[in-house]
Amino acid sequence: MDNPYRSDFPIFEKHPNLAYLDNAATTQKPRQVIEAITRFYEEENANIHRGLYDLSNEATSRYEGVREKVAQFIGAENANTIGFTKGTTESVNIVARSLIQPQLQSGDNIVTTIMEHHANFLPWQIICEENHAKLKVIGVDQSGDFALEELDSALNAQTKILALNHISNTLGTVNKVREITTLAHQKGIPVLLDAAQSAAYYDLNVKELQYDFLTFSAHKLFGPFGIGVLYVNDRFIDKIRPYNYGGGMIQEVTVEGSSFASFPKNLEAGTPNIEGVLGLGAAIDYISTFDKQEVQLHLSALTSYTIEKLSEIPEITVLGSPEKRSGIVSFTVEDIHAHDVASFLNKDDIAVRAGMHCTQPLLNHLEVPATVRASFSIYNTREEVDKLCKSLIELIEFWS
Amino acid sequence: MEKEEIQKRYKELILPENKSPYHFQKQDGITPISAYNPMCGDKYQLYLKGQVQEAHFHGIGCAVSKASTSLLMKEIEGKTVDEVVKLCKDFLQAVASGTPSDRFSESLNLLIELKDFDGRLDCIRLSWKALLSHLENIK
Repeated sequence: MDNPYRSDFPIFEKHPNLAYLDNAATTQKPRQVIEAITRFYEEENANIHRGLYDLSNEATSRYEGVREKVAQFIGAENANTIGFTKGTTESVNIVARSLIQPQLQSGDNIVTTIMEHHANFLPWQIICEENHAKLKVIGVDQSGDFALEELDSALNAQTKILALNHISNTLGTVNKVREITTLAHQKGIPVLLDAAQSAAYYDLNVKELQYDFLTFSAHKLFGPFGIGVLYVNDRFIDKIRPYNYGGGMIQEVTVEGSSFASFPKNLEAGTPNIEGVLGLGAAIDYISTFDKQEVQLHLSALTSYTIEKLSEIPEITVLGSPEKRSGIVSFTVEDIHAHDVASFLNKDDIAVRAGMHCTQPLLNHLEVPATVRASFSIYNTREEVDKLCKSLIELIEFWS
Repeated sequence: MEKEEIQKRYKELILPENKSPYHFQKQDGITPISAYNPMCGDKYQLYLKGQVQEAHFHGIGCAVSKASTSLLMKEIEGKTVDEVVKLCKDFLQAVASGTPSDRFSESLNLLIELKDFDGRLDCIRLSWKALLSHLENIK
């Protein structure tokens, strides 16, 4: 397969025939990331901070260097706006629990959308329930686009935050985040952007768009599992309270009472995920070797080709037709449940995801019990799409 | 399990049961037992009349869970609650170990042998586990 990136990924040496189309769940890892993690354990391993010896000092410097790198990656001015978390889910929970909930009162509201992943839905739903506030959920239109006309009336003086995704992990819809964020900011409402599906391929540019909070996970951008980012805009960093308590996040501890470091140190209690942070750094270095515009064109061409080919199969219905779609295509096959489809595709070495994709409110709204989702990354090819369609046609024939 | 083997089992058992499931209809006046897998969304309502004169079911799920529930309904009609509990326990144990037995019908043994079908164990077990849990709770 003629693809410039494929050879960077050792998994395809082990599984040369694998059509890996589950990139919205996690991307594969390039050699550079795997080697950075191995190198840390083989040559650089030491705990960070306060170890007064070379290995520890170097580990600290590499760890903090990644904070700088992440800041640069998302266009933030200061590294002290970057917190390391376990991933997008934890990042959203921190904003919900440590910042929004303490100021959330009965009669207030939080605005989110029906297309959110549960990670950016449940934390808000729960704190609204606990504090007797209202969760307002913006819908999607027939095409699967954000119902922009609902936004203006949903946002009011009682809205404490607008939380939305950049790209829907089920529909692939790329939201008009500039327009949406501007509208919220005009009303003085902070915005949390869940960039889990976009961080690898889109410029996030927090300086220009002035998001108040931005979250993503390393494993969806070629990095390791268990590490993610919470960006907090300067104007909120003093307001983020500790989330966990323990070593490394304190200012002073006494029997009578204690005080804590400021963000981001106040979030990083205990020994952090050092290998994860270094792996994230290597992933960002890897991403910086490719042209994001070119990658977006590649994904967009693959997606259009997939939709064109799937539309030729009468038994298949593609979910949504958003104005702008990323490399994610969800579909259903008439009379064949998504799990059966995925199981049979697996037998032809095609990896897809089937189910509700942690977006139950969206699937309930669309009245679809489950979908098959194909999601692409830099190493996917048209041949893999052909293979997917061939396998689907064979299954449909077998089933009838 | 190889593709041809899977296809064979689907043709012989899963597809016919999936297309014409046994007693697949809602029953008014009976509180259903819910069999729900939140990981995938498969959701069935099991309607048991008497102890157990009739068994019906309804709901949404994949071909494997639907076929398995359909077979469960066929198997339990005419059995006592104790017999149903024993059957569910025996079947779940046999599925876990993937060991067919002459205690079971040919169809159930085909299901048991599907155990190694790529992570579909929960689809096979869904309604059996829900029914067993319900019956043990009401005892």
